Amino acid sequence: MGTVAVEVVSWVTKFIGGDGTGRKVFEEPLRPDSTVRSVLEGLSARYPELQAALWQGGELGEHIEVLVNDAMLGVSHGLDSRVRPGDRVALLGQFVGG
Amino acid sequence: MPTAASSRQKRPAVAPVALPGGYAGKLLRINLTTGKVWSEPWSPEDMREMIGGVGLGAMILYREVPARVGWDHPDNRLVLATGPLAGLPVWGTGGLTVVTRGAGTNGPTSTQANGFFGANLKYSGYDAIVVQGIAKKWVYLYINDDVVELRDAAKLVGKDTWETQDQLSREYGLAGHHLSVYSIGPAGEHLVRFAAIQGDYGHVASKNGCGAVMGKKRLKAVAIVRGTHGLRAADPRGLIQVADDIGHDLKTDPTARSLYEYGTLSGVVNLHKIGMLPIRNYTTNVAAIDLTQWEAPRLREGFDHRGHQCSACGMHHCHMQIIRSGPHKGAIVDEPEYEGWSGAGWTIGATDPQSVSWLNTELDRVGVDVNEFGWLCGWAMECVEKGYITRAQLGFDLRWGDVEGARKLLDLIVSRRGFGDVLAEGVKRAAEKLGPPAQDCAVYTLKGATPRGHDHRARWHEMLDTITSGTSTLETGNPVHPTEVGVTARVDPFDGVAVAKVVAGLRGRLAFEDSLGACIFTTRTRLENMCRALSAATGWHFTVDEAVRFGRRTGAILRACSLRCGITPDKEYPSRRYASTPVDGPAKGQSVMDQWEKMLDTWYAEVGFDRKTGKPLPETCRALGAEWLAKDLWGRSR
Repeated sequence: MGTVAVEVVSWVTKFIGGDGTGRKVFEEPLRPDSTVRSVLEGLSARYPELQAALWQGGELGEHIEVLVNDAMLGVSHGLDSRVRPGDRVALLGQFVGG
Repeated sequence: MPTAASSRQKRPAVAPVALPGGYAGKLLRINLTTGKVWSEPWSPEDMREMIGGVGLGAMILYREVPARVGWDHPDNRLVLATGPLAGLPVWGTGGLTVVTRGAGTNGPTSTQANGFFGANLKYSGYDAIVVQGIAKKWVYLYINDDVVELRDAAKLVGKDTWETQDQLSREYGLAGHHLSVYSIGPAGEHLVRFAAIQGDYGHVASKNGCGAVMGKKRLKAVAIVRGTHGLRAADPRGLIQVADDIGHDLKTDPTARSLYEYGTLSGVVNLHKIGMLPIRNYTTNVAAIDLTQWEAPRLREGFDHRGHQCSACGMHHCHMQIIRSGPHKGAIVDEPEYEGWSGAGWTIGATDPQSVSWLNTELDRVGVDVNEFGWLCGWAMECVEKGYITRAQLGFDLRWGDVEGARKLLDLIVSRRGFGDVLAEGVKRAAEKLGPPAQDCAVYTLKGATPRGHDHRARWHEMLDTITSGTSTLETGNPVHPTEVGVTARVDPFDGVAVAKVVAGLRGRLAFEDSLGACIFTTRTRLENMCRALSAATGWHFTVDEAVRFGRRTGAILRACSLRCGITPDKEYPSRRYASTPVDGPAKGQSVMDQWEKMLDTWYAEVGFDRKTGKPLPETCRALGAEWLAKDLWGRSR
């Protein structure tokens, strides 16, 4: 039933074998009951470093910001919100500098 | 001119006291009016209560700077403090915290810088320098172990901060970590309200016009030769172990690793993606260019560079760069922090990294806060575009992204020539002087401060933090391992109540870190590790709970100082532009002002301060171990 684009941005590409620059877009397959969580679980299962950075005890950890359709998680979507074909998810590193 | 030799030799001998490890045991007191220089021991009990840095500075400010003493009064104190980790082998422990009543808000300031100052001071036998009075002529403070002198600074006046360090280095034949020099540039000399104190080529204590305070005192510089006094850790093996653990954490933690490799260079791309990059004075959040060249590795590759690490630091953070192209090709500059790229770049519409990097160092050299300059210059550029400020007023054109024009504006401000005299008063005062509609375009807080180099309209927690803080700048800061202190890692960033609870819940950590003599970037580890480091250094058993309580107590003391300065809750609002609703980008349409009162109500309830008066409630003071503060604020009956 289509795909959802998951964009891995800049620093987070380090966790999928990249050099911490640019962006890589994955077209993740959707099922009727797909949620933000299930899509991210599917992607991170293939990349152990991403898995470790993204999750903490089954919930999202502190290290990666998740955006859905350019809005931070919590604004329009929660982790268990349904995603639909054409939605866009982005993974962005936390910034703790000044 | 005659110099004032240290009077320590004349003081009666003090019975030796068993000091906690990590401390030199003395404060260096300077009275510039009389030329007197003396050392003052402080007790192990006080060390435990105040630790150092902002904890020590806040208490000195509270005890010694009453309401009548404004920022420019001779009795104002300028506290240059280190902490118990300074000079020990934990990464980034050359730290300096400046605490004073600042020229920007005429209220309390706590602002940090790094380099080698803290380590050199500790090796000279002092935990902090406390300056009072006003010198009759320009002087600089020279410290070389037991030689502590106020020396004639006539030859340094007019020099920028890098030239000042160059000259003193030549004079004493010392460079690098052998001589730490923190100084003011022409901005501080001319009492620019957002003048900074800059040191060791690129480290800046920048907030709230602390450089103007130093200028008012006619203290051009503090030069510290790396001392030879011993410094002991209570548990050396434990300290090395935890230092290794912190280093490992910084190298491997998914978030901190970015800082370890690239410092704050990733900020532009990251913050743009979520609408937090301030572009052209908050008129847009969408970059008009491809940001590929602004990614951290590309920014670093774009310059010839070399490491410029601080004391005992293994981070690949601070670097020096050589400008590769353009009118300033060949210039050696300090690699900007994110806030430099923002304030000297995006905020004023400049997007060429070579030009922005050059301007950033120019700001350091004349000695101003890069953030406030960005808001001021961006505002001026917008006002010129809209006809609110004319070319005749400035004497030159000033258009978006014009770095050379920005440099001319800086000259105007620093010299206080013509319209520069208005701008030198900072964003709030300059905007009020012009009035609407120009005033409506200016980014500032009603307290008289300006935000860090972010677009807080997409980062409400920092706006709330900036505006409620006792120092008029971030008091909670970025969430670092928030779950360690029981705060949720993520909330809807536009849910005002949830945001206010996060800001309140994380209070304390930053003040604790800023009391250790360590860098904010090397403390991006679990708080437990920092407590282990403090315990190993001092011999205390310091817990995470105690660290948070200490930090919140320091915040309550600074809040009391702030209230004493007339900074009351009615000033806890952003300016019209600072509070505006973004017109594009990821935060488009999100209005912080729709929720502001609710955010304030929540924050006050959570931190235990009185909503009406702003005072920490008696029960809050008691819970923080500051019964004395409750009595001072509320009287004995409460």
